[in-house]
Amino acid sequence: MSLAWTSKLALAASLAILPATGWAQSVNISYLTHWSPETVALLEAAAKDYAKTNPDVSVTVRAVPFGDLLTTLRSQGGGSDGPTIGGIYDLWLPELARDKLVAPAPDAVANEVKGAWPAGVTSAASVGGKLYGIPNEIDVYALNYNKALFKQAGIAAAPKTWNEFKEAAKKLTNKDAGRQGFGMINSWAAGVVHPFASLLVSNGGELVKDGKPALDSPQTAETFQLYEDLIKSGASVPAMATADANTTGPFLDNFVSGKTGMIIMANWWESALKTGMGDRFADIATAPIPVGPSGDKPHSISYSWMTVVDANAGAAEQKAAWDFLAWLNNPKSGKNGASAMSDILMSMGILPSRISDIEAHKDKLGSEFLSGYVSVLADAKPFPVVPGGQEFSESLQQTLEALQYGQVSAKDAQATAQADATSILERAAK
Amino acid sequence: MIQRYRASAGIMLAPAVTLIGIFILLPMLLTIWLSFQDWSTQTPFSSASFIGLDNFREIFGPTSVGRDFKGALTNTVIYTALSVILILPLSVAFGLMVYQHDVAGGTALRTVLFSTYMVPMIAVALVWSKLYSPSEGPLNQMLGLFGIGPQPWLSSPRSALISIVFLNVWQQVGYFTVLAIAGLTQISGSLYEAAKLDGASRFEQFRFITLPLMRRTLLFSAVIAIINAVQVFEPVALITQGGPVGSTNVLTYHIRRVGIERAQGGLGSAMAVMLMLSLIVVVCALFALANRKDVE
Repeated sequence: MSLAWTSKLALAASLAILPATGWAQSVNISYLTHWSPETVALLEAAAKDYAKTNPDVSVTVRAVPFGDLLTTLRSQGGGSDGPTIGGIYDLWLPELARDKLVAPAPDAVANEVKGAWPAGVTSAASVGGKLYGIPNEIDVYALNYNKALFKQAGIAAAPKTWNEFKEAAKKLTNKDAGRQGFGMINSWAAGVVHPFASLLVSNGGELVKDGKPALDSPQTAETFQLYEDLIKSGASVPAMATADANTTGPFLDNFVSGKTGMIIMANWWESALKTGMGDRFADIATAPIPVGPSGDKPHSISYSWMTVVDANAGAAEQKAAWDFLAWLNNPKSGKNGASAMSDILMSMGILPSRISDIEAHKDKLGSEFLSGYVSVLADAKPFPVVPGGQEFSESLQQTLEALQYGQVSAKDAQATAQADATSILERAAK
Repeated sequence: MIQRYRASAGIMLAPAVTLIGIFILLPMLLTIWLSFQDWSTQTPFSSASFIGLDNFREIFGPTSVGRDFKGALTNTVIYTALSVILILPLSVAFGLMVYQHDVAGGTALRTVLFSTYMVPMIAVALVWSKLYSPSEGPLNQMLGLFGIGPQPWLSSPRSALISIVFLNVWQQVGYFTVLAIAGLTQISGSLYEAAKLDGASRFEQFRFITLPLMRRTLLFSAVIAIINAVQVFEPVALITQGGPVGSTNVLTYHIRRVGIERAQGGLGSAMAVMLMLSLIVVVCALFALANRKDVE
């Protein structure tokens, strides 16, 4: 056969297989998260499992520190090359949806979520009645305390009221040993605001009511006063409270090294405590948030996370992303009727939000540490998800930090917080 | 003839002028235009609406927006001033030490000094955040050897910004030492010989020969140090996140938070314009001062 004929045959064969290669063309999607390398490895393993039945879809996982997550989503989400899937905090959703950075979920996904997740969690993943993300984790705040330090200080049980709480903080404080009774957090918005908000709701107050700030209430005044009292008595030391961009730092170091007796934190930090404390993790117990003088029973703050899809990604990438997320959150993708996502979350001590996942993991959720969180979930109040919520949170953080460092009084802090919140939420609502 | 000369000069300058126009002037003009608009960074420029001086009123107003901006501006001024005040004398001192021909190991010292400038900021941030750790940090342990109690470093609003300044000085001083050495090489050795013959002491040689003849080098170093300091971002983003109580919230970090995280492009642009204006005023004032000294 001459060279000319060989070339013609090769060209014809290439043209014949062209449509087939078109069909087999792989879709690359990327998943942006703030998880640690160990958890990212679990997500990558799940993506590999998915690829066994979906060889045309390739999922790459990219992690950034929590402090850079929103910025990365905002700066790269506007282009088609940005992350296809992003794990986001519910507080960010209203503005990401307003700016058309996230795509509404397809009907099939929305219907599945509405039937399989609690209504409150589904509503936090929706804006204007449209579902934008598949919820995955729910976090709730509770009081963590060191049983060994309690025993040393002669405290028999976890404090149930603010008076007992202040008394316990005083007994646990030992300046010579560099120990504080109650650990506050600073330099991290959620770390500052959520524990304060948990004490506030446990005192019968609210941050936002009917879309308007409610920080001028007597309950809020009492909560600011509690902070001032703890600082002035030396039971809380602000210099021991700093957090870094990875939401770790001295506040965590001080609790794991037994220099902080009590702290209000969310369930997700179980893995950080286990890593930092080893066998001494058994000393840590969980209790409901102490009830304030104006409260009726323990309440705390909860918030949720979800996965969203980039609205600017191509149609094929968006479809592949929703399909992957539907599989990842499906009870068949994990072990023993749990979703693969919930298995990943439970490795960090994070509560999954899908109803069937909670059932599938009930044994582990019954552990001494996590059961304390599960028990307060029913009376937890969702952190207000409103336009301008992030700025509101950062502004309240500044005011609370100023109070922690004695730069303002409780009374002035309350007035500043209410005035700032009013102007921020009014501007965001325009 | 002159016309032809002008035409050819214009043709030769055109590529450079076009590139400068597109990549430098246009973004600057766009930022100035956006500072007068209400605009979300997530929407097209066409969605921007003119609001006059409202953004500037807001950033200098009494609300949290104004308070945070003024705080960030103050922090940036303090950070810049402290950085320049520490870096320039240290760089001259190190430069004089390293430049001495009769000092053994001068080249090695020069290399060590410059190496800090080459270390990536992420590594510097990781190491320094541990050095500053209040409970287990080596700095506090060393102070303990001298009977000084633990310092809060990054954990206190009083010391956090100064701690970041120290980090900056440590990293940048080697680069400015190299600049100082370059300035020293320009001074003729015969001047020192003449001064010695006239009985000038070492200090007098430094005061009346070295310093005056290094004025241009120091001016250049000061301008570069100011620009570098004003642009500080990484240590704040990596270590302190602007805290505690906003004490390390510098303007570049704050503009990123407002303009990107909160998508308030108009407000962020107004802040960037104020930063640009402040920098222009300071650098012009510095040059004017230097020129006046030259005339005198």
